[in-house]
Amino acid sequence: MAKDVTLSGCAASAQAVKMAKVEVICSYPIRPYTAAMMELAKMVANGELDAEFVHGEGEHAQLSVCYGASAAGARTFTGSSGVGVTYAFETYSPISGARLPVQMMIADRTLDPPGDFGSEHTDAMSCRDQGWLMGWAETPQEAFDNHLINYRIGEDPRVMLPQFVCQDGYFVSHIPGKVKLPDQAQVDEFLPPYRPPHPLDPKRPVSHGPQIRPDQGVIMDMQRAEAFLEVPKVVREVVDDYNRIFGRNYQPFVEEFQTGDAEIVFFLQGAHTLTARHAVRHLRAKGLKIGLVKLRFVRPFPTQEVAEALSKFKAVGVVETSTSYGGAMRGGNLLHEVRAALYDVPARPLTTSFMAGMGGEVIRLEEFYWMAEVLAKAVKDRKVGKTVYWVGFEAAA
Amino acid sequence: MARVHEITIWTRGVVKDKEGRDVANALTLAADKEGKFTQAFDNYVDLPDRVNVPLRKYARISDEEIEMRYDYENEKPEIVVVVDQAIVKGVNLLRGMERDGVLVVNTDRSPETILKFVPNSALLKTLVCVDADGISGKATVDFSGTEGGIDTAGLGAGIAAPLLGAVAKVTDLVKLENLAGIVKDVEGLRRGYEQAVVVSLNGGAKKEAA
Amino acid sequence: MFTIPKEREVPFAGITPAPVNEQPMMITGNWRTYRPVINHEECNLCMNCVVFCPDACWQLNEAGDEVVWNWKYCKGCLICVNECTHGALTKEHELDFEDGVVRLEKLF
Repeated sequence: MAKDVTLSGCAASAQAVKMAKVEVICSYPIRPYTAAMMELAKMVANGELDAEFVHGEGEHAQLSVCYGASAAGARTFTGSSGVGVTYAFETYSPISGARLPVQMMIADRTLDPPGDFGSEHTDAMSCRDQGWLMGWAETPQEAFDNHLINYRIGEDPRVMLPQFVCQDGYFVSHIPGKVKLPDQAQVDEFLPPYRPPHPLDPKRPVSHGPQIRPDQGVIMDMQRAEAFLEVPKVVREVVDDYNRIFGRNYQPFVEEFQTGDAEIVFFLQGAHTLTARHAVRHLRAKGLKIGLVKLRFVRPFPTQEVAEALSKFKAVGVVETSTSYGGAMRGGNLLHEVRAALYDVPARPLTTSFMAGMGGEVIRLEEFYWMAEVLAKAVKDRKVGKTVYWVGFEAAA
Repeated sequence: MARVHEITIWTRGVVKDKEGRDVANALTLAADKEGKFTQAFDNYVDLPDRVNVPLRKYARISDEEIEMRYDYENEKPEIVVVVDQAIVKGVNLLRGMERDGVLVVNTDRSPETILKFVPNSALLKTLVCVDADGISGKATVDFSGTEGGIDTAGLGAGIAAPLLGAVAKVTDLVKLENLAGIVKDVEGLRRGYEQAVVVSLNGGAKKEAA
Repeated sequence: MFTIPKEREVPFAGITPAPVNEQPMMITGNWRTYRPVINHEECNLCMNCVVFCPDACWQLNEAGDEVVWNWKYCKGCLICVNECTHGALTKEHELDFEDGVVRLEKLF
């Protein structure tokens, strides 16, 4: 029976994974994602979920266990946060290259040093080149939905890729919000069982991961590059189907909010989108023509959709909650991707970036208002003042 | 945006963590029944809890949707609830309180003793002392609801119940009857309500017990 | 590029001075609900409290004739009361004493 409950992001993720009838879970505790494993352990212990629950000896072990299990044909789930994500780094490319749809939940946490639990997207973003799908949730409801959506996309025979399902640590993972839990029957209709084409099976022996030469290596790379070209089509199909079965209203890649006649927009992903929506409403009430564009998938980056969406505006403020030290813009990573997407657009908007929510800081409504002022001034001056603003630490705009 | 009423609960790690969470969760569930918009969450940086460390739990109640959902603290608490009385010596309890606030303390000592330890009591209009330990006699310990987990132990079986009764006595934000439908120890809730000693300070008027 | 206000400064690379005798950045006296109280007449300087305290809050004084209690870091675990061989230590509620107020602004 579908029902409305109040759950934190971690608990919502655990519910989604349970309903997806996951078969192998490998856990290792790290704050803030741990509660998801705590909930799953309870479910396995009391018989609600029939899955193998393996205690990894570290994050690297978590991913390795899932690699093996997925290769043998099991639907797998694991997760981590912060430096746990980077500890398992070695395993990401092999899992992606082996075309195994392992799913990893990342509840963001700032990378050390020294030891900050607050949410920053850098932990997951630093893995964006490894060949996994990646996207953020704004609320516990969206976290729940994203897990199911990603299993279906990742396991589709045209895709066969692993997925990072990300949510901001504490903001989404710990603060409870309203979640509509569907029926198991709806989930079963949406998500067919996992059927890999070449599982490890003694009856039909195969070898995974042999040694190859460089001239073969390039072909391996091209296989995955080709897969990523197929992904957007599958994402659109799957999100449509999800909306139909569960009664939601998601856009596959970018969602626009009050952008009708907007001249300036915020471009962002994750938890702070929720606060930004309220800021946009208040600024609109004061007569400012502002909207926001939210990104649901950062890998594959929806270049076409972003270019189409953003080219309508005069100035775009990319709200970065991750760092790319020494990167081309000396700020975060989203601005690089946005500028690349907009490069060929004939009349492209002004773009700048705001380092906000870094280290897990809250982004206040007043800070969004400040960012809007900066963007409005850029439109008036027909140029941006700077390309990177550290919000809260700049002299008055 | 309508005013967000903030309630901050101070408690002790591990031994009284569940009781602190119960107070926050029961207050918001009771306000939910009246159709209000609520949030209940733990202070993130006080956790992971160690035995006896002072910790905060938060409840927020508003007539309209709460916009700053993603926040770490209650900046301007109107009501501060103290689950272990020794905490009054250890932290600046009323930090952020604007004026005419309420302080509810689980104590068997006189209000004068408690006030002695609260230097900025000029911010208070009401002090409530309730001997929750005496009324209930137990502080339940359960970790199922920590750190984003789902609480499976039920609310209000220990000292949280009389504390909630004491809070209901001095505020309109929640109704005693709604709390009675949520806590396990309804007797403790009512005794807390009746036995709580309400002292008005700084020219505030005493609220009559309903 | 940006200005960091003085009250928000963080030491270079997050490197902080290491405590030698005490760590003033980590006062934990407010963890106490009960405190150990010593009756020097009964105390025979067996040093159990000094040895057993997990936070080294009992120390022999300079003259070597009394053990001294550190109220800033005692967390009220009462192990010393338990281990005292001569009944010189008893537990008393923290609110019975007006001294020993910690009153932190931020918890850490």
